[in-house]
Amino acid sequence: MLEARNLTVSYGAAPAVVDVSLEVGAGDLVVVVGPNGAGKSTLINAMAGLHAVASGHLLVDGRDITREAPHRFCERGIAIVPEGRRLFVNLSVRENLELGSYRAGARRARDDSLKRVCALFPVLGERMDAPAGALSGGQQQMVAIARALMARPRFLLLDEPSLGLSPLIVRDLLRAIREINTEGVAVLLVEQNIAAALELARRAYVLDEGRIAAQGEPRQLMSQPEIQKAYLGT
Amino acid sequence: MGRAGGEDHLTVPSATLLGQSVLSGVFIGALYGLLGLGLSLSWGMLRQVNLAHFALAFLGAYVTFQLAAVAKVDPFVTLAITAPAFFGLGMALHWFFLRFSVTLLNTLLVTFGITSIFEAGIQWYWTADFHRMESAYAAVRWKLGPLFLSLTDLVTLGFALALALGTWAVLRFTDLGKAIRATTEDAPIAAAFGVNEKLLGYLVSGLAAAVAAVAGLCLALNHTLAPVQIYAWMGVVFAAVMMGGLGRPIGPLVAGIVIGVSEAITMAVTNPTWAPLVSFSLLIAILLFRPARFS
Amino acid sequence: MKTALAVGGIVLCAVPFVGLPAFYESFLYLLLSAIVLATSWNLLSGYSGYFSFGHGAFFGVGVYTTAAHAGQLGWNFLWTLPLAALTATVLGVALGAVVFRVRALRGELFALLTLAITFVMSTIALNAVDGGPGIMMNVDMPKLAPTASGVLYLLILAAAALTLWTAYAMYHSRFGTGLFAIHDDEDVAEVMGVPTYRFKLAAFAISCALAGLAGGIHAVFVSYVTVAETFSIALAVNVVLMSALGGTRHWLGPAVGAVAITLLLYAFTSGQAAVIGRALTGLILIVVIVAMPAGILGEILKRFRTKQAPARPVVRDFVSANAKQESGEPLLVVRGVAKAFKGVQALGGVDLEVRRGEILGLVGPNGSGKSTLINVVSGHYAVDGGSIRFEGEELVGMPAHRIARAGIARTYQIPRPFPQMTVLQNVALPPMFGQVVMDRASAEEEAWRWLAFTGLEAKAHRLPSDLNLHERKFLELARALASRPKLLFLDEVLSGLTPVEMDGALRLIRAIRGQGATIVFVEHVMRAVMELTDRVVVLTYGKTIASGAPQEVMRDPQVVGAYLGAAHA
Repeated sequence: MLEARNLTVSYGAAPAVVDVSLEVGAGDLVVVVGPNGAGKSTLINAMAGLHAVASGHLLVDGRDITREAPHRFCERGIAIVPEGRRLFVNLSVRENLELGSYRAGARRARDDSLKRVCALFPVLGERMDAPAGALSGGQQQMVAIARALMARPRFLLLDEPSLGLSPLIVRDLLRAIREINTEGVAVLLVEQNIAAALELARRAYVLDEGRIAAQGEPRQLMSQPEIQKAYLGT
Repeated sequence: MGRAGGEDHLTVPSATLLGQSVLSGVFIGALYGLLGLGLSLSWGMLRQVNLAHFALAFLGAYVTFQLAAVAKVDPFVTLAITAPAFFGLGMALHWFFLRFSVTLLNTLLVTFGITSIFEAGIQWYWTADFHRMESAYAAVRWKLGPLFLSLTDLVTLGFALALALGTWAVLRFTDLGKAIRATTEDAPIAAAFGVNEKLLGYLVSGLAAAVAAVAGLCLALNHTLAPVQIYAWMGVVFAAVMMGGLGRPIGPLVAGIVIGVSEAITMAVTNPTWAPLVSFSLLIAILLFRPARFS
Repeated sequence: MKTALAVGGIVLCAVPFVGLPAFYESFLYLLLSAIVLATSWNLLSGYSGYFSFGHGAFFGVGVYTTAAHAGQLGWNFLWTLPLAALTATVLGVALGAVVFRVRALRGELFALLTLAITFVMSTIALNAVDGGPGIMMNVDMPKLAPTASGVLYLLILAAAALTLWTAYAMYHSRFGTGLFAIHDDEDVAEVMGVPTYRFKLAAFAISCALAGLAGGIHAVFVSYVTVAETFSIALAVNVVLMSALGGTRHWLGPAVGAVAITLLLYAFTSGQAAVIGRALTGLILIVVIVAMPAGILGEILKRFRTKQAPARPVVRDFVSANAKQESGEPLLVVRGVAKAFKGVQALGGVDLEVRRGEILGLVGPNGSGKSTLINVVSGHYAVDGGSIRFEGEELVGMPAHRIARAGIARTYQIPRPFPQMTVLQNVALPPMFGQVVMDRASAEEEAWRWLAFTGLEAKAHRLPSDLNLHERKFLELARALASRPKLLFLDEVLSGLTPVEMDGALRLIRAIRGQGATIVFVEHVMRAVMELTDRVVVLTYGKTIASGAPQEVMRDPQVVGAYLGAAHA
């Protein structure tokens, strides 16, 4: 289980995430929604080791990893698909994927992992040697997800994968994510596009101004007035 | 250096002279590329502009000279001493930059200071006089048609090619090389996939400095040494790096050879003392006509 | 103060007539020469942050111009001095014109090119002028003092006075403030109205001119001019060191450093000791960069600044500059604006209109292009296509500093104050370069008004790093307001604020509109958008999808879909 306990994270001088506790169990599919500026990205980045934590704890299977060096998070079974993809644009698709499996544990299973991600996203197989920056937005998102899968994670963290993508592509991506989850990888998804996210999730947290405003079953949450107010001000 | 009363004629050289010039231009260009390799790596990958690279290369040259002249050690064997020692120095420099959070522009200034210290140290020990290393290798030459090839020149070219291609291969094909390229682009995300940025930084600095040791050997084999020369090479090697591309191993070698050959032809055709202008003019030309190269 | 200067000046001028041993005259000459070189170097490199390693080249050009004309051609020595300065200037301007245009790598590129130019100039001097053996300077000296060395001393004294006065004047002028802004954040300076290219070129020209002048005088001082001695790299190191040691941020810093280093180097005049001297200068440079970045003078002044009580001029009631605007007509018309970054289409043909006197809300999901639109209108980025007309004038293709002059201002989502300028200096900058060009004194008065308006008066003399996020956002606001813009873009001013701070901010924004500004308000905090805006424009995927009254627009099913996402099968 991946757990955040009373996590407080600052963004510059301001507190972006305040006293947040959430958990992602093995094989779980959890979604964090909330309006812009709510702190969702900061939260997920902190959980992937990309952002320093001001106070609170991060635990994987009970082991406290809060103070560990960023490059050690991967060993703990956490892989991230960052906001805006952040592919290595000057490296080829293949090299991006190979880097995903850089950690020793994943390196051994590299060939097998490559086969699996190509089965999941067939278009990748055709563009293996293209520079990652040359692909379309949707394809880049696929590479980003595939790269994270190459690390053979137990917990896959996704930060707004639908950003800037058309609804059709988003639908395919979400389908892929569901499939990944079915194969046993726990998923923590941060999304602004709530309708899509809530359809996918088993459990959801609503983050507003850095705090958990609501949590529980997706269908329940969708009908609550807090969400309308937070997102649309109406 | 120049002829008194400096009259410049443009002379048309004979084919042999031209051929020999081009050849010597290739060899000097190889040395530019060799010096540029370490610089390109640390500038492109570590965002550090290491002026002290030249002082280090010269130190290597002087140490090689000393060991060969005094202890009668074979110059190539001295590499077994200088390369590891310089690797350590490179790591120490990187440590210093990390410890004091030195920004890019300040690395220029700090390494400028280090260069002064090294240069003063070299002059204090070896004086400002010219020194030329005598070795059995210097005499070995071959004839290729009407042209002469010396062993020491070929050694330089050999090292330059081997190291440039070797570095290129490592960067292109090995996991380590890909990790270095990824870290250069986006260090935090590379870290998220297990790449240890600090460790790689030390490795790259150490390697760049070890390459300086090799460049030093080549300097000692082929050239007369004087402390003031440390600065003379800076301009042309930086031009080669800027033209060849930061962080690239082969680009600076190609650019270096282009510059070297251009200089050699200039020297054969006009007064040799115009040579330093060549690299600078090439660089200005690129800035004027292809500024996008630098963005 | 003035009398002390006058007395000191007279004393210094009297030196050649007192009959000191030549040693002392020489020493004073070298000291003054160092002051000229270090101070002139600092005018570009210290003030603007563009480090030049080629000061020796321009000095050398001056030396050789005088050597060629006075030594070889027999011209009158004094006439060669302005020529020396001019030649150095022309060279510097030619180099700067090419290099200052390149956007990336500008700092390092400039440093390395100026390093290279030392060798280039030495080559040209060797080949075209000298020929090899050097130039003997058998020159007639003007009868200004009893000895030749006395004359040279007086000349360099005059040069030093000129240089110090120039440094002082620049430091206290708009020009100097602009250079310091370029040093801290060139892109922001440009957007705030500083003509960065012109200023850099001008500073470089002045710097080179003074170096050339010093060189011209030096040609006679050494009496035998050679390339090796003239274009040595030691000068380049020393001027950097002197300025860094004394403090590059102050007009007098380099002079302080020059005195210190000259005294130090004079202790190592002979043979081996000279080598130790060079090693020492290298070591001191490293220590100063790492441990004392502000230099001696800078560190001393830092202590003073905290003790100083804020001097507050009387703030008169201000009349809004733009109160007479008629509301309702289009002020800014954006048509079909497109912008792509490395394959991502950030803006794909945006159409919108901003009407005079309104508060327009610009909203949209993350990544919809809102910040990019602001960056494009303010001139931070160039557009790929489309038109932006402000008061009828086309903005596309106009350099950012002229857009600022036209009356457009913006805040940055993540505050970007000039880190080494005080809060007051930050806010005083736009009035100096905005629509109405004010001198420094009036600009500071104007700044006080806006500091009072945003409640930042108490922190006027602090550095931005001393402020918390809320205060820094208000600093952004005050700075944007200080140029009395006609159109103000607020980029997420409210994010990160507590509810109480937010209410304060909203009140402030309403008051700003009351002053006659038109405001475009990019925000995520929906309640603020609802309360504050007259109209709302919604962007998604870089295109406008709706515009109108807030309540209506946010209920439009297309907009709701864009935000919440349509349900997928």
